[in-house]
Amino acid sequence: MLDTATSEDDTNLLVTIVDTNPLAWQQSATAKIPLSLDDAIRQILIFFNAHMALKHDNKVAAIASHIGHCKFLYPVTDAETHRRQANQYKISKDANAYPNFKDVNDDIIESLRSLMLDTDTPQKNLNDGTSMISGALSMALCYINRIMNQDDLGRIKPRILVLSVSPDSPYQYISIMNAVFSAQKMSIPIDVCKVYGGEVAFLQQASHITGGVYLDVENPQALLQYLLFSFLPERYARNYLCLPNKEQVDFRAACFCHKRIIDIGYVCSVCLSIFCSWSPVCSTCRTKFAFRALPPLAGKGRPAISRTASPAPSAAASPGSSSPMSTT
Amino acid sequence: MSGRKAKKDDDEYVDIDDATDTHENEDAQQGGYSWEEEYKRSWDVLQEDAEGRLSSVVAHLQQQMKRRRLLRDTATVQRGIIRHLFLVIDLSEAMNEKDLRPSRLELTLTYARQFVTEYFDQNPISQLGIIVIRDGVAERLTDLSGNPTDHLRALKNKRNQETSGEPSLQNALDMACASLVNVPSHGSREVLVVYGSLTTCDPGDIYDTIAQLKKEHVRVSFVGLAAEIQVCRTLCKETNGSYGVVLNEAHFKDLLFEAIPPPAVTQTRNTSNLVMMGFPTKSNDLHPSFCVCHSKLTVGGYICPRCSSKICELPTDCDVCGLTLVSSPHLARSYHHLFPVDNFIEVPWSGINSLHCFACQTAFDSSPPPGAGLESNSGRYSCPRCHNQFCVDCDIFVHEVLHNCPGCWAAGSNISTVQIHSKKQPAIQNDVMPMQGVTS
Repeated sequence: MLDTATSEDDTNLLVTIVDTNPLAWQQSATAKIPLSLDDAIRQILIFFNAHMALKHDNKVAAIASHIGHCKFLYPVTDAETHRRQANQYKISKDANAYPNFKDVNDDIIESLRSLMLDTDTPQKNLNDGTSMISGALSMALCYINRIMNQDDLGRIKPRILVLSVSPDSPYQYISIMNAVFSAQKMSIPIDVCKVYGGEVAFLQQASHITGGVYLDVENPQALLQYLLFSFLPERYARNYLCLPNKEQVDFRAACFCHKRIIDIGYVCSVCLSIFCSWSPVCSTCRTKFAFRALPPLAGKGRPAISRTASPAPSAAASPGSSSPMSTT
Repeated sequence: MSGRKAKKDDDEYVDIDDATDTHENEDAQQGGYSWEEEYKRSWDVLQEDAEGRLSSVVAHLQQQMKRRRLLRDTATVQRGIIRHLFLVIDLSEAMNEKDLRPSRLELTLTYARQFVTEYFDQNPISQLGIIVIRDGVAERLTDLSGNPTDHLRALKNKRNQETSGEPSLQNALDMACASLVNVPSHGSREVLVVYGSLTTCDPGDIYDTIAQLKKEHVRVSFVGLAAEIQVCRTLCKETNGSYGVVLNEAHFKDLLFEAIPPPAVTQTRNTSNLVMMGFPTKSNDLHPSFCVCHSKLTVGGYICPRCSSKICELPTDCDVCGLTLVSSPHLARSYHHLFPVDNFIEVPWSGINSLHCFACQTAFDSSPPPGAGLESNSGRYSCPRCHNQFCVDCDIFVHEVLHNCPGCWAAGSNISTVQIHSKKQPAIQNDVMPMQGVTS
């Protein structure tokens, strides 16, 4: 699949979402092959520098997806820059460092420090301590949208890289999917680098739908190597590279009632919840279903009906069946 | 909006570049219409600001224009996500008129193609059929199906683009109705007519057809290209459809695309149902085998879980056993219709709480321009739930494309997620959780 919209001369905008969930990083730092956030950030910064070194006008942006909180790490707003300059954070000048690299590195480190030191970061109702991937993706897309609006020539080719350490959080599913479909619409690939933790089905689907790269890091200590080899190539170069990808993405659905993975299920026509057997009331949206309405599909496929739990005719025969005809 | 902008350019550069004179002449020929009058008068709104500049006023107007299209009903309503829609296109002589450029026909076909693409993008598990009317008869280009490529191919076919004779509204509606009565009751039944003619050439009484449509709960909407027609007005009113007559090209598109978001379910009848659907697995065979949809040899495909036949693309209905086949992302694609983002509120200068857009980090003006009051719009828009402030571009992007409020999903307060979360009932802890808002 050749991405014809890109060319060698494009400017690349890399928006990176760094999962800074401290709980997950704590686990990662004590895992069998440990990788602490410090080490990871050091390697990520080198990766950023490498990205910027590839072309003089390559751009980078970084967003932290923290527990219950998202924040731009880079670029920082003007007001924030002034505040930092006033506080003389940037006083150190290094004659041996390329200023652009140094600016990015300093800004990101400073933003991260303030994020971690900020005790106001709400720690309550943190719903299983998951990080706000959906918010970070939304912000990334808004940012990309702005950059692309400003870019009249259409030379900027954006992509999103998610460095994930925490598990999926089910209640973010809809918002993540909304973001994924927007990214697909704008043809922005979402790359996913799973640094620590098990499979993340949502992000797997995200990279599959948007045509990005999904990579499970086997040896987190070598994070930089993974980043440089798999995620550094720009979109144009990817046409000619064989990048790692998931062979099989599971698109089957889990039923809402028992969380079983099912082949054939019943979908509520109002809220699209999925159930493994027929029931008179949708447990999600409380819609009552008319008993009469089952046959249309059943007419063609009797055998499947008998396989599932509640055949319509017997239900319709019961005395209470007339009441659900009323509306919800 | 674009028309207005072009006009503005003409006005600005008319002295510099004589080439624009031709446009002026065209406008003059069309003068005298009521919308032309309106057009001119709205121009007088432009008043110089305190410093004698127009730019701020123009920018303000543009923001207003941008936002006008945005303000939608965001109440959580039950929507008919599974839709069955017939797009009826008039191919009578009247479509050759050139009052819409390049011509009514060209424009209609262009928009129809965009409509098909967008319709399936927003309604992935819905179906569409296309009917054309010419020479007093209705002709079915495509049957109800969920595959956009078939419809697009039919629309591109040159033979289907020739106009001739008179249109017949009744024939087209009868044909659509005959197909729609067979669809399962949980799906919506809709007809959308793009009508260029001012007459219809019918074999019988069209009011019988209207009564029939009403009885079968078919919703008929009209986009008129010429002028309002009484029978169409009655038809739309009786069937709960919408009726609009286009003012210009952009308005045409607006009217047509209004039909894309799924309509709210009418409360009068219980149409909801549990629909049996299959979630096929993808197969990657080493050896090619025949698919049931095109009868061609293919290597990959999806296996219908009920009858094990091989299908090329999802979503579709299995050609052998008729099971609706979808994948879970297709269902997820429709969820944003059920949980729309609240409209953002304009923030006056007195209510500002940030100096940059929360989502895209654009810097805002920190103080009102001279002459503007504290209650005038500051160019910020805030989410009523999380109170973060956004720029107008993000506002539009969030409501038209993203369908997530970045603030609600990212901010420390995290109000909306908490609400959804607290509404969660213990019985259903599942992957696609926040469904509780649907019935209110």
